[in-house]
Amino acid sequence: MSFGSAYTTLPDFDYHKPKTLEEALDLLKAHGDEAKLMGGGIGLIAFMKERLMSPAHVIDIKGIAELREITGLPGGGLRIGAGVSLTELLEEGRLGEEFGVLREAVSRVADPMIRRRATLVGNLCEAIPWVDSPPALIALDASVECVGPKGRRSIPVSSFIRGPVDIDLESDEIVTAVVIPPARGREGAFEKFTAGSEFSLASVAVVLTAEGKKRVPKVVYGAVNSVPARSVEVEDAIRDGLTPGSIRKAAQAALEKVECFDDVLASSGYRKHLVRVITTRVLGRMMAK
Amino acid sequence: MTEISVRVNGRLRRRVVKDNELLLDFLRDRLEVRSVKAACWRGECGLCTVLLGGGLVKSCLVLAVEADGKEVKTVEGITQDGELAPIQKAFIEHGAAQCGFCTPAWVLATHELLRTNPHPSDAELTEAVGGLVCRCGTYNQIREAVAEVASTPKPRKKVEEGLAQR
Repeated sequence: MSFGSAYTTLPDFDYHKPKTLEEALDLLKAHGDEAKLMGGGIGLIAFMKERLMSPAHVIDIKGIAELREITGLPGGGLRIGAGVSLTELLEEGRLGEEFGVLREAVSRVADPMIRRRATLVGNLCEAIPWVDSPPALIALDASVECVGPKGRRSIPVSSFIRGPVDIDLESDEIVTAVVIPPARGREGAFEKFTAGSEFSLASVAVVLTAEGKKRVPKVVYGAVNSVPARSVEVEDAIRDGLTPGSIRKAAQAALEKVECFDDVLASSGYRKHLVRVITTRVLGRMMAK
Repeated sequence: MTEISVRVNGRLRRRVVKDNELLLDFLRDRLEVRSVKAACWRGECGLCTVLLGGGLVKSCLVLAVEADGKEVKTVEGITQDGELAPIQKAFIEHGAAQCGFCTPAWVLATHELLRTNPHPSDAELTEAVGGLVCRCGTYNQIREAVAEVASTPKPRKKVEEGLAQR
C-alpha cells in the first residue's frame, strides 16, 4: 500500500546492473543525462521519492567486482572502491590510527542499517552539507578517481564538491574510488553534533601530521556551510601544539572565523556556538591521547 | 519488469516486479509479509527493517530487484517449529511493546544483535538499534528484555510456564 503518492513511490525507470566498468560506461554513453548511478541507493532513492531526481535509467554499480575492493597502496595509502559500503569499510579493519579521522566519521554516519548499504563514494557524490565523511576525507587530502570516455582523472575531494548536490563529474563519467595518500605519524579525530536526528548541525575533522618535531594540523568543518570548509585560523592556534590554552584559542578562532549558514535545521548563531563546542571537544580528546 | 527469485523466510518466491518497486512494497503487498511496516518511507524510523543477505537493512531504501537471488528474513523467520525465540518471550515478559507497531522490527534487530553478540554492552545495544524508533517509548522495557536474554544462557522456564498459563 504505497498510497500512490510521491514520498512513498519511485518514478518509473529501467534498472541496470552492469558487471564491468566498460558496460557501465556504455550505459552512461547511451543514456547520458537520463541516467543516474546507484551505489547504496540511500541518497538516490530518497531523492527519487521526493521527485528531486527522476532518472529514466538507474545503473547499479554494486555488480562491478573491481569497484568492491579496498586496496592498500605502496607507502601506506588506501584506495576505497566506489561500491564499498561503510560497514565493509569499517569491518575490513584497514582504518588504523593514520585513518582514524575517517574511521570516527564513518562509524557515526546515520545508523548500522544505513551504513550496511551506504557507500563512501555515494556519501561524497550526494554532496549534501550535513554528510559526515567529506570533512574527514578533505582533512586527509583524499582525492576522487573517476573514469569516462576521455580517460581517467583524479580530483581533490575539496574541489570535487562544488556545492550542495553539485559535484565535479560529467554525466558520462563514473567515480571509481576514493584515494587517501599515505602519511607516517598522522593521527586524527572527528566530532559532530546532531539534534537527535542523523543530520549533523556541525562537524569537525582534525588531522595532525608529524613533520620533524612539529605536528602540522589540518582542520575542516562540515555541515555549517554549503561545502566543507578548512579553517587556517583554527590551525594557526594549535600549530605549536595542543595545550589547554591553545585549545581555548582555537575554539575562539572557530567561533569568530568559521562561516556558518542559516537553514531549517539551525541558525548561524547556534552553529557558531556548536563550532566552538565541538572544536573544544575534539582537540581536548586529541590532547588527552 | 524483471523476474526475481527471493528466498523469504526459507521459502523461494518468484515474482515479476517493476524496476521501481521497493523491497518494502514487494514484501508487504505482493508476498503479504505484514510484519514489515511502512511508516516514514525515508529510512529514518527503521520499522521496515529486514535481514537481506544476512544483514539488517531498511527495506524502504532497497529496490526489490536488488534482492534477486538473495535471502530475506523477517520476524516470522526467527521462530523455530512454532516456538518463540528467547527475545520474543522476553519482550512479552517485560512488556516491551505498547501499541506493537514497531515491535517486529525491534524483535528482529535485537534478535540479530544477540545472535552476533550474545552479551552486548549498553553502548553496543544503543548503537545497534540506533536506526529504530518506538513512538510509545518502550525503550527501557526493550533494554530489560535484551539484558535478560543476554544474561540467560538457556531458555527460561519461568517465562515458558507463564506463557502456558495464559
